[in-house]
Amino acid sequence: MNILVILRMMPDAASELQPNEGGIAIDREWLDFQLNDFDDHALEEAVLIKEATGAHVTAIAIGEGANRVLQMAAARGADEAIALDAEEGGLISPRDIAATIAAVARDKAADIVLCGVQSGEDVFGQLVPYVGALLDWPHISGTGRVTSARDKLTVSQERGAGVALTYEVALPAVIGVQTASKAPRYVSGSKLREAAKTPIARATLQPSAFERAAMLVKLSPPARGSTGEMLGDDAGQAADRLMAVFAANGFLKG
Amino acid sequence: MAGTLALWLLVLAAITATGWRARRYVALLARARGAGRFDHPLQRLSGVAVAVGLHRRMLRRPLSGILHATIFISFFVLFLTTIESFGSGLFPGLAIAPVGDHPVIALAQDVFSLLMLTGLGLAVYQRYVLKPARFKGSSASDAAFIYVLIFLIVGALLLEAAARIVQGANGDWRPVASLLARLLLAVHAPGPAMEQVFYWIHVCAILAFLVYIPGSKHRHMFLAAPNIYFRNLGPRGAAPPVPESRENTGLDRLDDFDWKQQLDLLTCTECGRCQSVCPAYAAGLPLSPKLLITDMRDAITAGRTREPLVGNVIAEATLWACTTCRACMEECPVEIEHLPKIIEMRRHLIDNGSVSPGLQDALSNLTRLGNSMGKPSKMRARWTKELGVPVKDARNEPVDILWFVGDYASYDPRVQAVTRKVAELLTAAGVDFGILFDAERNSGNDVRRAGEEGLFQSLAQPNIDAIQACTFNRIMTTDPHSLNALKNEYPSLGAAFDIVHHTTLLAELVAAGKLQIAPADGGRVTYHDPCYLGRYNGVFDAPRDLIRAAGYALHDMPRCRDKSFCCGAGGGRIWQSDEGVTERPSENRIREALSLGDIERFIVACPKDKVMYTAAVDALGLAGKMQVLDIAELITVRAGPEAAA
Repeated sequence: MNILVILRMMPDAASELQPNEGGIAIDREWLDFQLNDFDDHALEEAVLIKEATGAHVTAIAIGEGANRVLQMAAARGADEAIALDAEEGGLISPRDIAATIAAVARDKAADIVLCGVQSGEDVFGQLVPYVGALLDWPHISGTGRVTSARDKLTVSQERGAGVALTYEVALPAVIGVQTASKAPRYVSGSKLREAAKTPIARATLQPSAFERAAMLVKLSPPARGSTGEMLGDDAGQAADRLMAVFAANGFLKG
Repeated sequence: MAGTLALWLLVLAAITATGWRARRYVALLARARGAGRFDHPLQRLSGVAVAVGLHRRMLRRPLSGILHATIFISFFVLFLTTIESFGSGLFPGLAIAPVGDHPVIALAQDVFSLLMLTGLGLAVYQRYVLKPARFKGSSASDAAFIYVLIFLIVGALLLEAAARIVQGANGDWRPVASLLARLLLAVHAPGPAMEQVFYWIHVCAILAFLVYIPGSKHRHMFLAAPNIYFRNLGPRGAAPPVPESRENTGLDRLDDFDWKQQLDLLTCTECGRCQSVCPAYAAGLPLSPKLLITDMRDAITAGRTREPLVGNVIAEATLWACTTCRACMEECPVEIEHLPKIIEMRRHLIDNGSVSPGLQDALSNLTRLGNSMGKPSKMRARWTKELGVPVKDARNEPVDILWFVGDYASYDPRVQAVTRKVAELLTAAGVDFGILFDAERNSGNDVRRAGEEGLFQSLAQPNIDAIQACTFNRIMTTDPHSLNALKNEYPSLGAAFDIVHHTTLLAELVAAGKLQIAPADGGRVTYHDPCYLGRYNGVFDAPRDLIRAAGYALHDMPRCRDKSFCCGAGGGRIWQSDEGVTERPSENRIREALSLGDIERFIVACPKDKVMYTAAVDALGLAGKMQVLDIAELITVRAGPEAAA
């Protein structure tokens, strides 16, 4: 069995996110990038399936710091690593990368494509359905547990109100992982150093499979509403202001 | 004749039995990996002389120190008697008896028998009446059995002499035995028979003791001196190296530890001094350094040397509880090395990816960003923004002092104020200093102690490269953990740096008249010795000199200097949760400061201490009453014409 797992690099949410001068991308100069959390779970799920079935795992990473994350993936158990050269400085749009992912999946004879259910630049979780559609494979998103039998997957998916659904999905399939069956494992520095020797193949971005339906015209921080109050970055001042708000609204006794 | 034969048989049987009982340990140590502890014989010997001869560490606890010294000295004096007893019994022609009749020797035997019994009495009093908490978990029956044997040996010795006096021997120089002789006379005991009976009790008890030793904590009679002799002479702040030949970074089997680490286990006396000073134990965490050693020892004595250790003999939670404060090793009278064992087993856990969630976050952040907070490295020098003057970039221009700032001093808002104050003091003193900006990484000190050897190297190497690319005279840091890493850990990667703590540098500047202090009006303060500044690197006086120079009256807490009590942050603990903690070590420490009375300022010299103790003071509801300040914050620069000049 062959698994393809997709790893997208996202700007660290703890950094200062600012639109750049053009106003349609964020200023990347001062940003740190990290692996999309859901993709981290997808990687873990891939490695867990590998450990259970002996599957071959190919990891494909997109964005700044892709090489570093691919080494980490190799240290965790990925057998093959591919860095996808994406357009520098742009958002990782699911519409733009889906065709390339589908092509790599065919090329690697993948039985399962795993990726995170969403990312900071794919908040509507479109990559999974796009790739599923292009490959004409079944796809399911928001999975919490994936177990593999010979030609099918058993997949659980959490719904609201404490309900969990369990599906059986025929292979090949595209899976959007919300949480892996186990928390992503820690990989030691020694293993990382060993994995630094892993050869990393390169892939180039293919033209988008979709016609342009809409165009990004503006990127901006969320508009400040008038109903809330921002307390600022300074913990001390924020605490003072909070106490004042409590006092003004009668939450403090005496 | 029958007596001689019987004694010969007994002695040979006892020696054989002792050898048989000890054989496994000998084989074990002979098989174990080398430890490289045969260098510097004179230095090693002098250490033994101080530790054994002067009982230096034993006397850190006066009652046990004195009682042990009493028993110890008496043992050597009475050993003469033992030679006499066995010599005259085994070789009837060879009369050593006259020696025993020499007035001085007779008196010595008599007096030291009494002293031995006094020491024994004190030991019994301590163990059964005072019941110090450090004995909790030690074997009670082992100690009791030894007490009985010593009592039999010495009692029989005195009574044997008394029986001889009953038969007309000279008792002038044996006051105690003479007294007992009167007792024997009073009960009309038959002299010759009594002498025989007590002789055999004496001899048999000694042989029983000998046979008993290999299976008991009293092995330390033979092993303490060698264990101290083979102590680690390297820097206290260097974690055990990982030999190239090792397949995995960590160790998980007893027989993978080198012979010194195994000898440690066999030497433990179960005195529990380590347990009594352990911050993790005091906090209610599942770690007692004593039980760590005795559990590993029991696995050795049970022959379980090939079994997995971690999660089997030693629980994971036990290993993660350690703050690596080194108090246990500082206290151990026989130089047992607890920390290398913990670090080796933590390495094994890291190898297997078993880490607690908090630690995993921190280590992942360190892997990604070079700091444990998960903050962008570009923000490392953000604290300089609010400083009135620009700070030199040591990567671009030569500086006198290269300041290695460290994570907490750079990123934590509670510590940034201290960092800026130090920068102001250096500026006021005209020091030419610069920093590495975003080229600095976490020093890796606690990463290495968390067992993350690979990550340690990944952090240390870029630091070494960045530092070596700069031109400077000395390195300074406010962070004792960074100080320790650069001074004691980086040499293992081939880098030797001259590094000082800011308290040392500031004290130098004050002494040289470059930093002119306007002394305050002398409030009462106490000072907490950071583990990695004091115990690890021996800096105790510079901080105290500075506090006095700043115009404050210093009142040390009972646990100060090398007995300092850890704040609970070291060795990666600061990244883990407080789960299972009944009293935070930091709060325990603040209570200790409170017990001094009217202390308003709790002085620290470590960024982590500022964080830990500020939190502890808040948690104890003392925010208005006690301030946690770095020494730098105590100092006011003297303004005025002479300072400006």
